[in-house]
Order: sequence, then C-alpha cells, then structure tokens
Amino acid sequence: MSDRILSIRNLVKTYPNGTQALKGVSFDVKRGEFLVVIGLSGSGKSTMLRCVNRLHHPTSGEIIYRSKEGVETDIAKAEGDEILKIRRTMGMIFQHFNLIPRHSVLKNVLYGALGATPTLKSALGIFSDADEKRALEYLRLVGIQDKAHFRAAQLSGGQQQRVAIARALTQAPDVLLADEPVASLDPATCHVVMDYLRRVNQELGLTIVCNLHFLSLVRQYATRVVALKGGKLVYEGSPAEINESWFQQIYGEGAKEVHIN
Amino acid sequence: MAQGNTHVASEKGAAVRRTILDGFVFAYLGFTVLAVLGLPEAELVQMIPKFALIFLGLAIAGGIISIGLNLKGIKTLGWQIYAPSHLRMKTTEELATPMHKTFWGVQMLIVVLITTVVGFKMTEIDVIKLLEADRFNHAMRLFGELFSPDWSVLPKAIVKVVETIYIAFIATVIAIPIAFVLSFLMARNIMGGSKVGFAVYAGLRTIFNVSRSIEPVLWAIIFSIWASFGPFAGMLALLVHSVASLAKQYSEIVEGIEDGPVEGIESTGASRLQVIWFAVVPQIVLPYISYTVYRWDTNVRMATILGLVGGGGIGAMLMEYFGQAMWPQVGCIIFVIAAVVWVMDAFSSHIRSAIK
Repeated sequence: MSDRILSIRNLVKTYPNGTQALKGVSFDVKRGEFLVVIGLSGSGKSTMLRCVNRLHHPTSGEIIYRSKEGVETDIAKAEGDEILKIRRTMGMIFQHFNLIPRHSVLKNVLYGALGATPTLKSALGIFSDADEKRALEYLRLVGIQDKAHFRAAQLSGGQQQRVAIARALTQAPDVLLADEPVASLDPATCHVVMDYLRRVNQELGLTIVCNLHFLSLVRQYATRVVALKGGKLVYEGSPAEINESWFQQIYGEGAKEVHIN
Repeated sequence: MAQGNTHVASEKGAAVRRTILDGFVFAYLGFTVLAVLGLPEAELVQMIPKFALIFLGLAIAGGIISIGLNLKGIKTLGWQIYAPSHLRMKTTEELATPMHKTFWGVQMLIVVLITTVVGFKMTEIDVIKLLEADRFNHAMRLFGELFSPDWSVLPKAIVKVVETIYIAFIATVIAIPIAFVLSFLMARNIMGGSKVGFAVYAGLRTIFNVSRSIEPVLWAIIFSIWASFGPFAGMLALLVHSVASLAKQYSEIVEGIEDGPVEGIESTGASRLQVIWFAVVPQIVLPYISYTVYRWDTNVRMATILGLVGGGGIGAMLMEYFGQAMWPQVGCIIFVIAAVVWVMDAFSSHIRSAIK
C-alpha cells in the first residue's frame, strides 16, 4: 500500500467569472499526516480544499485518491453519485462551522451519517442505533456530550467547531479537510480546537489537511507544510524549515509574523 | 477576458433598453396631445390604427434622438434606469448638479407633469358635483342608514363570515404544499446549476408571474362559470392566486439563505434532497410560516370581495342586500366584515411577531 493517500497533479480551477484560483498545483498528502496549507487570503487554499471533496469542480488536473484497500480513484473526473461517495470518505470542517443553528447538537452530529442513510429515512429523522452510538461517542471525544440536547446556536464558537469535528467523524472519514478551522475563534479557544484536531490525527490516525493563517500554529501542529501563493505552490517541507526568507516569499515583502499564544 | 465580455454584453443590452424606453417616453409625450384635444371616445377608438402608426413613428424618432443624445454624453432617463453598474460612477460635477438641471431630471419632470394634467382630465374630476344639494343629501341619508345597522341579519352574517374564513383557510392550506415544492423549483440558487434546471426555473417564473398578475376577482369570475357560483369557486380563485404569491415569496426566501449550512451538509456526502431538507428547510421554516399566516389574513379580506362576483361567503350575502338597496342590513354586514378583518389582522401580526 502506498503511503500517499492523495496525489494532486496540475490542479487548475478557473471560476466562470474568469478568476484563476489555482494555476496548476501539484503535491501529495501522506496517509496519517497533519498537513497544513498556508498562504494569504485569495491564494487558492480554500478552492484547493473544496476541489478535493468536489464542493467545487476543478477545471483540469488530477486528484488521485487511494483508499485503505488500495483502490485508486481520480476525484477530479468523478460525476454524479460518485462525487457523493467521495465526499463521504472526507469529513470537512469550516471557518464558520456551518452547522444547522436551530437543530440540536446531537442532530447536527448525526448529519454526518446522512450519506450512509437513505433519503426518506433520514427525512423522517430515523438514524441507525449504531450511528447514534457513534455520534454520542464522538461528542464525548470532543468533550461536549453534556450539550447534546442544546441547540447548536446556543454554543460558543469553539464548542460549535467541536460539534463540527464530531459531525465529520461520524462520517467515518478517511481524510479530514479543515478550512481555516480557528480563524473566527479567540486565541485561547483556538488551541483547544487545534488540540482536538491533533488528538483525532494521532489517536484515530485520521489524515488531516488543514488551511491555516498563523505560522505559530503551523509550527505547533503541522507535521508537514505546503504553501500557496497566487494559485501556485511555493513551498513544501517541514514546518521547522520555514525561516524569515521563506516567510517573506509566502506572505510578501515586509510581512511580519504575528504570534498567537 | 471573460469579465470584459460580460461588460460588453451588459452595455449592449442596456443601450437597447435605454433607446426603447426613451423612444416610448418621447412618443408618449407627443401622444398625450390627443387626450388634451378632447376627442370623443368613439372617434378615438376608430382612429386607433392610424394613431398606432404615428405612435410607432414617434417612438422611432425618440429612439434616434436618444441615441444621438447619449452619443454626445448627455444622460437620458433611459440611461439613468438601465445603465450597468460599472458605468454609473459619477463625476464630482455631476454629483453637484441638482436633478432639475440635468437632462434626465427635466425629462422625468415633464412626463410626470403631463401625466398628471391628462390624468385630471381623464378621471373627470368634479368636486362641485359632490357638493350638489341633492346628491349630498342622498349620500348623507345612505350613510345614516349604514350607521344604524339592522342587527336582525347578524346571525346569518356570522354564519356567512365563518364560511368566508374557511374558504380562505382551505385555499391557504391547499396552496402551502404546492407552493412549498414550487418554491425550490423557482429559486435560482437551487436551479441555476444546470441548463435544464434553469429552463424549469425560467418557465415556472414566467407562468406564475402571469397568473399572479391576474387578480383573484377575475379568477373568481372564471371559476364561477366553471364550477358554478358558490364557495368552491371562491376557494379555487383564492387558491390560484395564493399558490402564485406564496411560491414567489417562498422562492425569494430560498434565494436568500446562507450558504454555510448548505456546504456543511453537502460535505457529508448527503444527496441533493437531503441537502435541501437538512440545510435549506431549517433556514426557511420561520419566514414561511410568517408569510403563510399573512397570506391567510389577506385571503380572508379577498374572500369577502370574491363573494361579490359569485365566490360565496359573506360577499355573496353583501351583494344580495346591496342589490336591493337594503342599507341598514348592508351596514350590519360591513360591520361584521370589518370586525373579522380587524381580528385576523391583529391575530396574524401577533403570530408573526411571536415567531421572529
């Protein structure tokens, strides 16, 4: 079995309005790693992540996904129900959590099982006992089992992001995509969420691809880093190797690093 | 490049619309002279084909003038209404010019002024007529009878007004599921993704825009022939109008939803229907209820009118007494209608503020 879970090759994304978000990006994601993608807003990080689970559709290029069983699929060429199947293997968490605010925390977590539940059954609110057990288990893992019957909107930002992590885990995913998971949280909460992501990575062995702004967080949590700038890959390596000159290259001349602790 | 192309396309479209509008405004100004001439209606009707040609000629002349003016950089009313947003940046000088000193401002003022003058003539406004002793006394007597209602018809009026409330209720209830399904098919963000989807969206929008522009009273006339006079005809008329209005209002709510929850549910690998059910529906339920209660309230008010043209309910009763000039009885019916409308209005606004 290859240790590469995702191989992205020459990924290009041009939006209908003509904006070129990705101009041919290539890199690999290794199974079990905590890969962090850095870059300025507008560098193409979000687009890249959304191409991987096909929330956005790539213009050209390949995204090869290797399942645990060693089956290879080109995500970029998937169509129709295939796309839904691919999304099921990839959990995703977002900057603004993207929960259903009026629904209970437990229900939100159960929605991770939607892909595996027939439409009619799910619409009637019927989820399998196994799903419900798993949902509760993951709520315990992120430490908010006591909030299961609260409305999601009643929770703080950090707690909502933990619900989102539990929802993603309920999918039983192979990869967890995280798009700026802490960008709308305060510094203290930020570490709580990042710590849970690390736990998920280390204890459950889940591969994580995470977009981040803050370099200090990157050094603390990433096992490997890629950097995007203007839709192109400009750096690939270990977080420790990002020095002043690399930093300037990624974030532009005169940029200063801000520490968040 | 793509952006440049869309700009060119929107500029062309805007120029065409602008020219047509300016042309018609010009032709309209020339044409109102006829109304001022005061030709009798019969003569006017006879001369319509000829006038249509003159109108078209004037419109073309106006269009040419508009093109000329816009080429010179003078902004016409058509420009002001249709210019694409990227051309709308105003110079300091333009911002400092008061409206009545701009070309389009004067153009608009002339149109409003002339329309008002012609309007006065057409409506045959005659205040003195209102104050003629005979007419005035007659009207006062009528008011007097209306304000001393004959309460003996109250029980019947109550029975009939209850019928009206139920007509309105059933029309609303049946309209809800139909409009609910239609609202997704008529929402651009749900249907805009594919060509087939967009065709369905555009088709339904057109059909319902047309059916909504037909007043329920006209529907009631049609249905009172089709389904014979009575509550059923009134209900059908309200139903058609309710479906069209609710579908439009609902679909606007769907178009205004937040994308976040949709992405969140999509990312789990949920099917299209599941995304709608779990990410879209929770966002729209409350505004839907609010609009629906308001629709019921509106339907009760409309149902009272529909009775006049054969739609059953209290309107039919009103018609009956009104036809025989039994004003005290009519006064009682009007009182009942006013009371119910007032209660419904208060009730619906309480519900709507409770679920905000």
